[in-house]
Amino acid sequence: MSDARPASARTATPPEGIRRIRMPQKLRNLEFWLLIVACFINAAAIVLVQLGALGRVDTQLVLLGAGLSLLVFGLHIAMRFVARDADPFLLPIATVLNGLGIAMIYRIDIAEGDAGWESAAVRQIAWSAIAIICAIATILVIRNHRVLFRYTYLAGLVAIILLLLPLVPGLGREVYGARVWIGFGDIATFQPGEIAKIALAVFFAGYLVRNRDSLSMVGTKFLGMQFPRARDLGPLLIVWALSMAVIVFQRDLGTALLYFGLFLVMLYVATSRLSWVVLGLSLFIGGAIIASQTLDYVGNRFANWLDPFSDARFNADPGGSYQLVQGLFGLANGGLIGTGWGQGRPDLTPVPQSDYIIASLGEELGLAGIFAILALYLLFVARGFRIGFAGQDDFGKLLGVGLAFVVALQVFIVVGGVTRVIPLTGLTTPFLAAGGSSLVANWIIVALLLRLSDTVRNHPRLVIDG
Amino acid sequence: MSELTLLVLQLGFLLLLWVFIFAIVYALRSDLFGQRVRKLQPDAAAVAAPAAASAFPSSPVPAAAAPTAPVAHAPAASGGANGELASSENATRLVITSGTKSGAEFPLGHDEITIGRSSDSAIIIRDDYTSTHHARLMQWNGRWMIQDLDSTNGTFLNGSRVTVPTPIPLGATVKVGATTFELRR
Repeated sequence: MSDARPASARTATPPEGIRRIRMPQKLRNLEFWLLIVACFINAAAIVLVQLGALGRVDTQLVLLGAGLSLLVFGLHIAMRFVARDADPFLLPIATVLNGLGIAMIYRIDIAEGDAGWESAAVRQIAWSAIAIICAIATILVIRNHRVLFRYTYLAGLVAIILLLLPLVPGLGREVYGARVWIGFGDIATFQPGEIAKIALAVFFAGYLVRNRDSLSMVGTKFLGMQFPRARDLGPLLIVWALSMAVIVFQRDLGTALLYFGLFLVMLYVATSRLSWVVLGLSLFIGGAIIASQTLDYVGNRFANWLDPFSDARFNADPGGSYQLVQGLFGLANGGLIGTGWGQGRPDLTPVPQSDYIIASLGEELGLAGIFAILALYLLFVARGFRIGFAGQDDFGKLLGVGLAFVVALQVFIVVGGVTRVIPLTGLTTPFLAAGGSSLVANWIIVALLLRLSDTVRNHPRLVIDG
Repeated sequence: MSELTLLVLQLGFLLLLWVFIFAIVYALRSDLFGQRVRKLQPDAAAVAAPAAASAFPSSPVPAAAAPTAPVAHAPAASGGANGELASSENATRLVITSGTKSGAEFPLGHDEITIGRSSDSAIIIRDDYTSTHHARLMQWNGRWMIQDLDSTNGTFLNGSRVTVPTPIPLGATVKVGATTFELRR
């Protein structure tokens, strides 16, 4: 065991009986082989798109994709030095999801005849490169997640500033009716709300670790559940008001649902009080009902969800169910194994490369492909929960659960919206959808989860076999 | 490219995707289904039993010394001059005083130390008496405390069962399952 490091500072050699449960380089080697398979899947997807849509292989985009694979291996090598005990599955899963997204965006570019910098796929590759570099930087800079605990309130402040940025006149941009972008000049470039979700997760974790006792212990009993005191309710009401403000001023239902759900789950995990969840859900449902009665665009979403196939709704403009119905037809056209890469018509749906990328993938890869993608998300989130479960300190536990849950909830909101399980709200599908800010945020989440999992495993252990 | 070739390639791609997923699931199986229970090899147990039986009558001193040593320690530790509580300043190591790994040491840092059968624990004790998450050692205002995590067979400090988080005196015996340990300078 050449890599066995001294378990204590006092003794040069590990005391007898102390050993690592898993050899860290074994984990990294496993990750290496999975990454090779992942990069092969990504290359195969791009080649299959070209064979299906163009009938020939164009090496230019394959080479760009290969450059991205090099960066992923760069992250892998960085982890061999600074996070050798980190989880070996997160990176390959994120790589495959990112690669499938690029292939589908490229396929839609071909259908719409975009090339060069006009092409969303090339921009997506550039953004992926930036995102992976951000992840490498995160894992190199943050050597211990407990550093983040010190900046709890700073993180909360940063989150609120990021959320409010799109409302600043001159900086904010309105796209498809939602004012969640900032940009310079004519182009809308960045969605600060995506980064805000990480800052919020850090803030919630730190805040709840500091105040969980007063939140869970004190309160009055009512209907067999313990309800909190009014002064402890403060933070819940503030976050609720914040997410309602997002709905009203930025017209972004999905983001509001995401932030509020994140807060509720972290509150529940920290205090294990069901009353918080009941209270929070009734607040949100109340708010949503009021919003659907008073705000036109929310009401439209509900009507589209309940009755998308009626003529009135289908032809309504703006706010009709045309997009939703096209997406459903696309999914139906895919069937069990899909039409094949490059052989469907995903470009018939509006915005097939961002909000509706799941419907596009469902059309070309079929039920088998969609379930594979959902299984990848499931594994990713399960790893995150596992890291939270095995964590040694409360802050790390809460942060791990929060970050994993934010990915899970985002997938649920998007996929649920596209498949008509819940009313459609605009959110990006993590790793898949075209959009730089979302990629950067999700790759930073990957880096943070990797850092957490490294700290979880990287402490001395003593094994006693009775 | 004929339709058939593309269909075969598409099926191959989906298969590859699922192989990737099942490769991950296979590598994760210990997480999903729990750790494999390791039993003593029957021949190893058979060798151990007569060895213990023969050791006992011929040389009672070493066999008896192991369990009695901590007991002899305990009253001295709990009472009077040596009753100093273990804190982050004065305790540096945890020493196993009985059980199969008797004599092994574990460095005390600033993190809490979890004890149990699960592989997440810092001190993993795999015997019939230890619960999955049995107990934990944590620092509270700089002092080392032992907390029982609702274990089946209990955690004992100087022979009395721990019900609330309790500060540990230096050199006091803590018993988890068949293993005892103490905190030392």
